[in-house]
Amino acid sequence: MKSLFIVLIALAAMSKDLYTAEAGMPQLDPTYWASQAFWLILVFTILYISISKFYLPKIKNNLDNRDSKIKEDLENANKFKEQSETKLKDYNLILEGAKKEVSKIHLESKNALDKDLQLKKEVVEKEIEKEIINAQKEISDLKKNSIASIKSVSENIVSTIIENITGDKLNESSIKAAVEDISKRNINKYL
Amino acid sequence: MASNPMQQFTVHKIGPEIKIAGVDLSFTNASLFMVISAAAILLFLFIGSKEKKIIPDKIQLIAEMFYTFVAKMISDTAGSKAKPYFPFIFSLFMFVLFCNMVGMLPYSFTVTSHIIVTLIMAMFIFIAVTIIGFLKHGFKYLSIFVPSGVPVILLPLITIIEIISYLSRPVSLSVRLFANMMAGHTMLKVFGGFVVSLGLLGGWLPLSFSVALTGLEILVAFLQAYVFAILTCIYLNDALNLHH
Repeated sequence: MKSLFIVLIALAAMSKDLYTAEAGMPQLDPTYWASQAFWLILVFTILYISISKFYLPKIKNNLDNRDSKIKEDLENANKFKEQSETKLKDYNLILEGAKKEVSKIHLESKNALDKDLQLKKEVVEKEIEKEIINAQKEISDLKKNSIASIKSVSENIVSTIIENITGDKLNESSIKAAVEDISKRNINKYL
Repeated sequence: MASNPMQQFTVHKIGPEIKIAGVDLSFTNASLFMVISAAAILLFLFIGSKEKKIIPDKIQLIAEMFYTFVAKMISDTAGSKAKPYFPFIFSLFMFVLFCNMVGMLPYSFTVTSHIIVTLIMAMFIFIAVTIIGFLKHGFKYLSIFVPSGVPVILLPLITIIEIISYLSRPVSLSVRLFANMMAGHTMLKVFGGFVVSLGLLGGWLPLSFSVALTGLEILVAFLQAYVFAILTCIYLNDALNLHH
């Protein structure tokens, strides 16, 4: 690139009216060196002072602010995260306690219900038993009564039958004994 | 006027002649573009630091990027001791960058393409760094010319080379910037002239070259400002942290 540049410069230098007013490089013409030095120093000094006293502290301040803000926010975020974690732990603890309570209550009520049920069942069973006994008693009473009434009925029938057949009236006590005898033999069939 | 590619570097007086003690200090186009560059920097920084926004807008972001860029450059090359010189290096970087960039505008003047301007800056840096070195380390600062681990026989030669290289710092620093800017602008002008002279038929090739060169020159404008600032940092580092 540099050699190309030199060739081009040489070409340009050789072409027509180059060496006119300011020949060659204007940079080497010392007419305005003092002026350039003066203005450079003046401008750069003003630039340096205003940058160092005014703008750089401001930019630094902005950057520091942002850094501290980011740091603060991060710290806050961490704090909140920890807080939420402890809250979550508490919540889980409470939830577990509640679950335990629920199972306890469930068990208790189940036990109570079971007991109650058992009690009621027993009462009802007792009642039923009593009823059964009563009924059995009634049945046996009825049976006994019915035996007695059957006896008298059969005595009547027997005496009537005999009277009709023989025309004689049989002794009531003998009929009674005979009926008693037969019924005693056969009573077990019906009872 | 357009035929001479060096024409763009001529300095001419603007306004009345100012003479102080026989020295011509007239306001020139070079002075004008120094003022424009400085004003542009100050305006840019003013807008960039006007409001204390947590979320910066574009200009504020760019200003803060420049700040952190230069701050990082200084801390990387010269360490924490160079912190007091941060405003100077920041101003220097911004001034050179803006002068270079303003010079890229058509019909403008490139302040940094003049050897006198870059030489004054480089000489100031050179003298200031030398004074800082002697203030910090006294005569021990001269040990900068005696590198450690060099065989005794070679020591005189090395010392002479070191002294020459140290003394040539302002020259290399100023010529690097000046030559880069001058070369770039001359080339742009030459290719621009080719476009005109080759006309509608053959002018397209140098025109495309011109476009590419403009991009390159913008890169060079930034790069040279960066190089100027970072070399200042390196010189400052030598003065602040004397190697053993």
